[in-house]
Amino acid sequence: MSTQAEKEDTRPVDSRTGKPIGPMAQPGYYPGFNTLSQQKFWDAKTREVILDRVHNVPEVRFLSPQEARLLKAVCDHVLPQDDRDKSHKIPIVPQIDKRLYENSHDGYQYEDMPPDREAYRLGLRAIEEIAHHQHDCGFLEIGPREQDEILRSLHDGKPSAANEIWKRMPVHRFWMLLVSDCTDAYYSHPWAWDEIGFGGPAYPRAYMRLEHGEAETWEVKEKRYDWKAPENSMSGEFEPASGQLEHPISPGQGGTH
Amino acid sequence: MKSPLLGEFHPPNGKPHMLGSIQRIEIPMHRFSEGEEVDYVIVGVGAGGGVLLQRLARAGFHVIGFDAGPFWDTERDWVSDEKGAHNLYWNDLRITGGKHPLAFGANNCGKGVGGGTVHWASFTPRLHPSDFHIHSTDGVGVDWPISYSDLKPYYELMELELPVSGPSYYPWGDPHGYPYGPHPMGGVGDALIRGCTKLGIGVSAGGPVAILNGSRGDRPHCIYRGFCIQGCKVGAKASTLITHVPDAIENGGEIRPNCMVSRIHVGGDRRVTGVTYFDPEGRERFQKAKAVVVAGYSIETPRLLLNSACPGFERGLANSSDCVGRYLMAQAGNVVLGRFEELVRMYKAPPAHALTEEFYETDPKRGFARGFAIQTVGPLPMSFARQMMTAKGAWGWGMRSVMMDYNHWAGFGFLGEILPHAENRVQLAEEKDRLGIPIAKATFTLYDNDQKLIEYGKNKTMEVMWAAGAQEVVQESRYAHLVGAARMGSDPRSSVVDQFGRTHDIANLFICDGSIMPTQGSANPGLTIMALAARTADYLIREGNEVFTSHKPNNQKPPMRRDLSPPDTWGHGMPRI
Repeated sequence: MSTQAEKEDTRPVDSRTGKPIGPMAQPGYYPGFNTLSQQKFWDAKTREVILDRVHNVPEVRFLSPQEARLLKAVCDHVLPQDDRDKSHKIPIVPQIDKRLYENSHDGYQYEDMPPDREAYRLGLRAIEEIAHHQHDCGFLEIGPREQDEILRSLHDGKPSAANEIWKRMPVHRFWMLLVSDCTDAYYSHPWAWDEIGFGGPAYPRAYMRLEHGEAETWEVKEKRYDWKAPENSMSGEFEPASGQLEHPISPGQGGTH
Repeated sequence: MKSPLLGEFHPPNGKPHMLGSIQRIEIPMHRFSEGEEVDYVIVGVGAGGGVLLQRLARAGFHVIGFDAGPFWDTERDWVSDEKGAHNLYWNDLRITGGKHPLAFGANNCGKGVGGGTVHWASFTPRLHPSDFHIHSTDGVGVDWPISYSDLKPYYELMELELPVSGPSYYPWGDPHGYPYGPHPMGGVGDALIRGCTKLGIGVSAGGPVAILNGSRGDRPHCIYRGFCIQGCKVGAKASTLITHVPDAIENGGEIRPNCMVSRIHVGGDRRVTGVTYFDPEGRERFQKAKAVVVAGYSIETPRLLLNSACPGFERGLANSSDCVGRYLMAQAGNVVLGRFEELVRMYKAPPAHALTEEFYETDPKRGFARGFAIQTVGPLPMSFARQMMTAKGAWGWGMRSVMMDYNHWAGFGFLGEILPHAENRVQLAEEKDRLGIPIAKATFTLYDNDQKLIEYGKNKTMEVMWAAGAQEVVQESRYAHLVGAARMGSDPRSSVVDQFGRTHDIANLFICDGSIMPTQGSANPGLTIMALAARTADYLIREGNEVFTSHKPNNQKPPMRRDLSPPDTWGHGMPRI
């Protein structure tokens, strides 16, 4: 049985022609750029760690199959990859599951939050409850627009149901946990580096062209194209997330200085 | 290019221990035997503990440095990869709360030999002379028990030992020059210079940073790869792991890595007798020592003192003032990001390479006390995505599209002084870690002056970004660094340690890390922690065996010992201004 989500086109569109973009092996403005092709210039340990990330996708061990399916549907919206072809989708759920299975984290837990494992279980339950409350069926059975609406309500801090859960876990904290886990998984993958033009590891070779955004000989010049989010999506526009308004300081980001 | 320029640096047989791409530890490390009483146990081998360990070993003391994390072999353990660097940080659980809770881990805490200096960006400005008396001058915070002139010679010494690269004339605070020349600019530094120049704001280009711009001894120069806060595999960025620990080992000091100290013991005469620790296999052991130095930084130091409570010290060790854990500080560390029409590629060059301290001092016209600095930052993709999540509310397709523009963005870090408050503190939580030791809980709230300063400084930093030519400017609120929670002072009723780091309550218990700083200025704290450690070392060495027997602290300043620097670090570089 195909779900409603699978019937609708969820690909981004070319702004000029209005035609859907992809699926393709490598979206982004750096066609042909391939960080992995530079791996012989990386040190041995870095190569080992990054190749392991690419080739050994971990099994799902912490989440139940049902939870994993639901989380996959959620992550398909939080970090959509409909412009990527099947063999070039970056695994998100296996990385989140690995973190939860190993119980590894960033070294702190907010006093108003449960531990991450419980937070994910609660969050997934809440998303299901909201779907049932609004549509009388599960999150997996509703269309992409309706799925996006539910996630957008978490982003806005205004979920329509599951209040008992949000009393135990502030919605904005769960949202940031979910989004940052998705972005960590996606942007730690060399295919994402190719997409955004990030040079990747540079030891022992070094970068030499430091100024004016100039490319190294092995990097690729930017070739932009205009595109926009699919019609049925609600994540193309930028709106501050709810936590930002109520809590002027929202730490949780990695060190930069 | 058909073949790699350089091969693997580490030899295949698993030896020797590599610190950077050239430096090796060839001599075996001295091991003190089980049951042997040593002179000093140092708990934590980071910025403070690393410098102190090296000094004490060189002076001939029997000293062991415990660290809860590994003794890194940089070639085998470290990677040029954001996610792969996760194990450099203190990732053990802490609870964080208050109205404006702190983040830990990657943000400010190291685990392993070298501590936070392994992953600092290595900006190394000094405090300003005004920082030592803000209560007298501005009526806020508290005065230090020492002045800038007490620390100045130690700043100069540390700038040579690391060494620090920077301009030959640095105009702010006490003007001075740096022994190694400034670094070339990257795209972010260019933006900071452009913005500051347009607004008539002074700016320092190419430092001060503890990164080599030319090779020295067995350390090569910087290769501008941009992974400073993921650990410098090159060995160009200073960390006590590569600058001070090798000399400590050479002089008979022992490092005991992967050993978590859980308790400090007190004997019948109210003097400490040693520490209990968990060895790498998780077995509980006891190490006897004539004196103990705690150097675990602003969370672990108070945690250990509080966890060591015993009859006679029910509130925790050295806590008769109830100040252990209190006056915890972080600096405001908002990141301001600007999108430019042209490409920037901010992942190149060290994130730390230009700054301005033009707004450092109190300006009554601004309506708050104290000030801030503006510095370059260079977030890599994972960090940048998280910043876009909070700064723009990005997710979904919005996240994908703004990330495709990663190479168009530049980042400035605002670094603002947050004042000490008694209620910003570290306590013990109910939860325990995997060894059964109660974990730390931090409470943090911003007060009126802090909020005004952040609002002003954030807007000023954004103004500089606009002036640099950005088409869009956004910002994310966060913190940087930690200090305080075991502050120094002359009055035992309102402080934990004296000016030399000796606890007021226990004559042979010392603290040597950022937790003793009473206030923090808006300078990155690393250099100050090291300078304080070198001063504590001179004091302990001058006192000699008195430390192990006497109950009466000597408050006389020690003579400065330049002969205790690691070899070939003294006498190089610029003439002093």
